[in-house]
Amino acid sequence: MQTGKFDRYASILFALLGATFLIESRNISKSAYGSEVGPNVFPFLLGLILILLSVKLFLESLKNIQKEKKKTDELQIKRFVIILLASIFYAGTIEMLGYIISTFLFLYVSFQAMERGSWIKNGIVALAFSFFVYFLFVVVLEGSLPGMPIWLS
Amino acid sequence: MGVMDFLMQGFQTALQPHNIFFAFIGVLIGTAVGVLPGIGPMSGVALLIPVTATFTSGMDPSAAATSSIILLAGVYYGAMYGGSTTSILLNTPGESSSVVTTLDGYQMAKQGRAGAALSIAAIGSFFAGIVSIIGLVLLADPLSEMALKFGPAEYFSLMLLGLAAVSGLAGGSITKAWMMTVTGLLIATIGIDAVSGVARFTYDIPVLFGGLEFLTVAVGLFALGEVFKTVLHKEEDTEKVAKVGRVIPSRADFKESAGPIVRGSFLGFFIGVLPGAGATLASFFSYISEKKISKNPEKFGKGAIAGVAAPESANNAASGGAMIPLLTLGIPGSGTTAILMGALIMYNVQPGPLLFSDHPDVAWGLIASMFIGNLMLLILNMPLVKVFAKIIETPAKYLLPIIIAISVFGVYAVQVTTFDLFLLIGFGLAGYLLAQHDYPIAPLVLGLVLGPMIENNMRRALTTSNGDFMVFVQQPISAFFLVCSVLWILIPFVLRLKGKNVVVNVEG
Repeated sequence: MQTGKFDRYASILFALLGATFLIESRNISKSAYGSEVGPNVFPFLLGLILILLSVKLFLESLKNIQKEKKKTDELQIKRFVIILLASIFYAGTIEMLGYIISTFLFLYVSFQAMERGSWIKNGIVALAFSFFVYFLFVVVLEGSLPGMPIWLS
Repeated sequence: MGVMDFLMQGFQTALQPHNIFFAFIGVLIGTAVGVLPGIGPMSGVALLIPVTATFTSGMDPSAAATSSIILLAGVYYGAMYGGSTTSILLNTPGESSSVVTTLDGYQMAKQGRAGAALSIAAIGSFFAGIVSIIGLVLLADPLSEMALKFGPAEYFSLMLLGLAAVSGLAGGSITKAWMMTVTGLLIATIGIDAVSGVARFTYDIPVLFGGLEFLTVAVGLFALGEVFKTVLHKEEDTEKVAKVGRVIPSRADFKESAGPIVRGSFLGFFIGVLPGAGATLASFFSYISEKKISKNPEKFGKGAIAGVAAPESANNAASGGAMIPLLTLGIPGSGTTAILMGALIMYNVQPGPLLFSDHPDVAWGLIASMFIGNLMLLILNMPLVKVFAKIIETPAKYLLPIIIAISVFGVYAVQVTTFDLFLLIGFGLAGYLLAQHDYPIAPLVLGLVLGPMIENNMRRALTTSNGDFMVFVQQPISAFFLVCSVLWILIPFVLRLKGKNVVVNVEG
């Protein structure tokens, strides 16, 4: 997306963000024991400033109908989407599948997404990383990470 | 006790075996971070906070804070050493503060003098590191003495100045920089209000009561943002890595670079102390000024060793200088120092004037460890430069997913909630999109770190003045800071109106 266009959408989003904080700050109690200025003032002011800045950016983005140096960068959408989905899956299953299994799955899928092939080598790297981190953190440093799922252990 | 006694105590702390180990790990990882293109000092430090937090989990809080800050600071200045390696060997700067080094460094490598360039860069960095630490030792006490006299009004204005400085220099559009700052400040208001105990913007969701964790936001925006960018954009065909060759510089090289190293160190130090102006700006300025005073400026750009020595000394001195406002005033002047500050706060150690009286072991231990760390870096970088050059060849296909995995591990190990993992990925996406469209990230993180303190000081000042906002202008020191902030915003604006190019800080 071109920066000018992005700025226009972004300015609207930021203005909405500012407005949300501005409006919601009115629901916070106005005065509090121990301070003359209640906890609502600071977010209220900031929300206002953010809206004003967004308006400024919106106007700037209208003015700048600049010829954007449009490098037709070839985006690697496919591998990005795979890695992103894998990350979300990873975050969602880390507690269910345990650290080792979820990390291994994530790394293996991502390695393949980056560059297909070398199934065995990628598997070994993914497995080594998962076990190494788990061993170092849980066994040596006595931290806690989700272990193996119950139905496996 | 005098400064020397404190420093000696600092050395006692820094020379404990585990702290030497932490310093070593820090500078080692820092050098690797500097060498690897794609991970800058900011994401490197952010990524390592959770790792150090787990390493130090068994110690008592103060010792844990000391050890982690020793490691994290080591990453910061270690990256300044490592950044030169890729600039010289590959013509690709490892991080933005080494961009100018490519101009002459790569030319030298082409002429077969890569080894000399690398070792001069290391020697220059070492000298600059020592200069900046001595500056830190000398300035720490008087500055924190002065800052102890500040009231809430002064602090509020000083922090505003810090924000103004970083936002004003943060990138192409000042509007965008300010928007990021304000967004950071707004995000910081989520959670329980420290003054009144009222929950704000939490909507009774338990995970929100503590606010959005600084660590999650920083790792997401910096580390994941950069990974997403590298995944999406096809990497260019990497140029061939130049041969390192003879490492020991010749006597002529030494003679030619001695002056630039000394000048670069002092210039870089003073630029580093200024909030907002970081290592990148320091390296640019020192290169330009060396070229100006040189007897044969036509040699610059064609492999002049002064063109490597000056900016590499300057960026390292600046990274040391940047520790001064952080440690003595509690004001981070750049993105990386903001992250260091966030790390200290995680350990309940508040940087600022009280740091030197409340936690002398942390402050002086860190300073002493910087001496040791710089020495280690010099030793590491001279003979091992060929080994580090090999790191460049780490295949991206392993590196990128592993960075994601380390981020997830770090955030989960500290926060132990899946919510933070989703937040991490969300901020990673936001970080990529924002950075891609020239929205600087550093001001957002700075706002997030400084937010609670700015608010508290503002409200405390207003409480003493019965809600009168004039209190910030009536106190002379506070008014002075406010005038400085306004000037900091206005001067670039006026210069731009006049059509002049304003040097901006890409590193933040």
